[in-house]
Amino acid sequence: MVDIRSRNLKVKVAQQWENFGMLFILVLILAIFSSLDPNFRTVYNFISIFKYSTFIAIGGIGMAFCIMSGDFDISVGSMLAFVGVLGSSFIPFIGGVGAVLSTIVIASILGFINGIFITKLRIPAFITTLGMLYIFRALAYLYTSNVPVYIENKFWLYIGNGKIFNINFPIILMLICYLGGYLLLRKSPFGRYIVAVGTNPDASRLSGINVDKVRIIVFTLVGFFVGISSVVVSANLGSANPGQLGQGYEFQVITAVVLGGTILGGGNGSLGGLFVAALIITALKNGLSLMQVDSYWQDVATGLVLIFAVALNRIRYTLLGQRE
Amino acid sequence: MIKFLKLYERFGIFIFIILGSIFLAIASPNFLQTNTILNIIAQGTYGAIVGFGMTFAITSGGFDLSVAAVMGLTSVFLSLLIPVLGIPLAIIISLLVASSVGLVNGLIITKLNVNPLITTLAMMTIIRGVSLLVAGGRQIVISEKMFSIIGTGFLAGIPIPIIIMVVLFIFMFFTMYHSPFGRHVSAVGSNESAARISGLNVDLIKIMVFVLVAFTAGVAGVIRTSQTLIGIPTMSPGFELVAITVTILGGTSLAGGRGNIWGTLFAAIFISMIYYGLNLLNVQIFFQMLSVGTVLIIALFIDGARNRYLESVRAKGIKV
Amino acid sequence: MRKLHILKLALITILSITLVATFSFVGCAQAEEAVEEVEEATEEAVEEVEEAAEEVEEEVEEAAEEVEEEAAEEPITIGFSVWTMEFTFFQNVEKGVRDACEDLGYEYIMIDQNADPTKMVQDLDSLVSQGVDAISVTPVDPGALGPAVQNARDAGIPVVCADIGKSGPVNALIISDNFEGGQLAAGYLDELLADNPDNTYKFGLGNLQPQWTYARERGEGFIDKSEELGYEIASEIIVDPPSAEGGYDTMQQIISAAPDIVGAFFSSGREAVGAAQAVEGAGEDIYVVGYNGDPEELQAIEDGILAGTILQQPYVIGYQSVEILKEILEEGAEYEDEVVPAPVKLVTPENLEEIAAELEERRGQPAY
Repeated sequence: MVDIRSRNLKVKVAQQWENFGMLFILVLILAIFSSLDPNFRTVYNFISIFKYSTFIAIGGIGMAFCIMSGDFDISVGSMLAFVGVLGSSFIPFIGGVGAVLSTIVIASILGFINGIFITKLRIPAFITTLGMLYIFRALAYLYTSNVPVYIENKFWLYIGNGKIFNINFPIILMLICYLGGYLLLRKSPFGRYIVAVGTNPDASRLSGINVDKVRIIVFTLVGFFVGISSVVVSANLGSANPGQLGQGYEFQVITAVVLGGTILGGGNGSLGGLFVAALIITALKNGLSLMQVDSYWQDVATGLVLIFAVALNRIRYTLLGQRE
Repeated sequence: MIKFLKLYERFGIFIFIILGSIFLAIASPNFLQTNTILNIIAQGTYGAIVGFGMTFAITSGGFDLSVAAVMGLTSVFLSLLIPVLGIPLAIIISLLVASSVGLVNGLIITKLNVNPLITTLAMMTIIRGVSLLVAGGRQIVISEKMFSIIGTGFLAGIPIPIIIMVVLFIFMFFTMYHSPFGRHVSAVGSNESAARISGLNVDLIKIMVFVLVAFTAGVAGVIRTSQTLIGIPTMSPGFELVAITVTILGGTSLAGGRGNIWGTLFAAIFISMIYYGLNLLNVQIFFQMLSVGTVLIIALFIDGARNRYLESVRAKGIKV
Repeated sequence: MRKLHILKLALITILSITLVATFSFVGCAQAEEAVEEVEEATEEAVEEVEEAAEEVEEEVEEAAEEVEEEAAEEPITIGFSVWTMEFTFFQNVEKGVRDACEDLGYEYIMIDQNADPTKMVQDLDSLVSQGVDAISVTPVDPGALGPAVQNARDAGIPVVCADIGKSGPVNALIISDNFEGGQLAAGYLDELLADNPDNTYKFGLGNLQPQWTYARERGEGFIDKSEELGYEIASEIIVDPPSAEGGYDTMQQIISAAPDIVGAFFSSGREAVGAAQAVEGAGEDIYVVGYNGDPEELQAIEDGILAGTILQQPYVIGYQSVEILKEILEEGAEYEDEVVPAPVKLVTPENLEEIAAELEERRGQPAY
């Protein structure tokens, strides 16, 4: 009897942890920094954390789909740079709106190409995207002859820096993206397909799901969200630098997705968790920097918190006596 | 045909090397020279050595992104320890330090149940931070000139790094294919739960794999440090991707269970050849990235086609 | 705090007025004995009291004004955003900024970009929101400063770039004369080779990664001067990875590509040391010159491995950035998009000791 009760308690805790664990860690981090540093606990700074988390948070949506479907895309950083320089170079010809749209479209096409390589040529996703990581970066260099593209277009810059009713535009954009992502994942059959393919591709194939098509769409979505991120970040920076844009972005995004509770290897995941995880990563960097911590301590602290957070996140498996 | 394909599995990348060599020999008069070729192989040794470790990690279904950071840590410890302990002891302790990072990786992965990718990514930043802290944020010059022999010396006309690589290759080859440990690593990689059920100590095997990777990174760190005689806390940024590229290009399956040590060796030399060779032609660095990416995709495409062909042959009932 | 001061002052005023009044009343009481003088004395006393009261009031007002002025004169705060603290060069820039702030009595906030352009922008925003009075920045991606600098300037905060580069409406950029540095290197190599019968008039060049535009000018300066002196750049390679061991690899490649070179220039410090080691290892006779003046380079020059280096003055650049900010803040100096070149110096085995002593004196720690 006691056994069952404690078992039930464990299950309950595990379930609640799944929903609120990351939120708890975020609150913890915010509380610690707020108590240590008066500059951290300002409204302006909290908004700033939101604003700059969009970079990871938006790109993460596509990656979350990708990881849920059992794949992986490590070309996102290079893709971000390539579409950034390509799209922003169109501004003089087709104007800001056209350039922004074409950036997103081009990114989606690149994602689509990744998807075709992976499904039709049957090259594993990791390798295709590893190859693309080199290729996109090289193309970005080649296309610009390695001169950064400076962005002066109002519309483009507005996407990263503008405000509606005193709310930063990237935050609004992020919320729209999350709403879209949520509807797609939870309210459409496609969302169920993604999870099904990630959980068991063979079973999904037998049950009549066009697995290849699902995977291609997923990679296209990765590209789509990378395109949006690319516009946001290059607007924040006011330029698109082929060598520096998106360096290490792939790992930041994957980290956020995994920290958010999506399991590498496929299956279900959580967009809410991803959102919170992106905030955690940004808040951590921001807090450490405000406390005037040197790069090396920043490195050490970020790494430790990351491992700690993921380990805590895994508690639910331990509680349930499962392995991932 | 089938025999050829069997051979291709092991030596496929060798074909790329030959094609590349022919091209470079025509394009550059300086390519076919003993010095150049020895240098190309020597510059491939770091990728190969760490690639050997990475091959084990990927075969076991894992991953290690912390290798470059471990190289830096080794480098810092060497530069600090050599003046105090002398060269041999300093090397041994630095390698122990490097291996202990692998131990920590392994423990976090198995005992805290954290994904290898995230663990080693986090450890990468932690170790780099620690290296910088230990070094006080500086590059530390090593004044013991004797130490440079390891990286720059020759034995019977062959650069010592190559000899180190060959020795490690032989060791890794036998560990992978002719030892119980190698079989266990493959078993864990191809089906972890089955391996667990059949009584293997999966956690221990995984931990040992990560220790092995970190050890190889340590060896590469020792060689590189001895070449420059500087303790470099931020050594070889981005080297983790090189090591992974080499391993995958060599034909080690990402799904785990199937490692290819030969392939890793040749792939490392091939990548070194691309970079070295295209530099001989004064080609810009972008083309090297472009070539590596393209070769990766082509090689793996051929690999996939070959696998499908073999499958179809098997389906016809021919034993392969 | 300020309120307290005013309360105190008010209290003192009231007390002093009462005191003056009391004394005058006492004076009045004493005047009974000399009735004739009473009226005069009373008048005088009243006058005195009034005068005194006026004086006190004035004093109070002045004191209050002073208090307000003092409150407005909070110490000036300088925010400094640095590329990363992982390299000696930036550590020295940071030390320069910090020392300057100390010397001028400014508050100092350092914020580390950790080599991430996105973080750089966010950090600059947060410096602005913290209400710093001026910003000095060593940007990881100089092209990406635009919107962040605009934001700072809109808030009335002057921005000076300490080396690397600039974009957006910065007030000033202090930067090493990289082009001249490259030229110096070529000239020095030519001097070394002047009477060498084996001079083949061929050089090698190891460039930094192309996204670091400031370093590109070093190579361009080197090429410019070399060609002027009749040398050919036989091999030009980008150092990869950007580290000492990358320099080692690159030098091997340069030697393979152009075995007959007599000199080589590497546009960064550690890379040059690695390259010089590769020359040693290959047993070649090639002079290598570096760029930066990092401690390991100076050591290598002393050991006779490296022929020389171009010394940048990160400490001075950092220090000067604060001095310019001081001019803008306190003297109202006009700086708008100005480029202030920071001189570079050639370090050779001959002047090594002298320069090392100079550096040590300035930084308060051994140069190498």
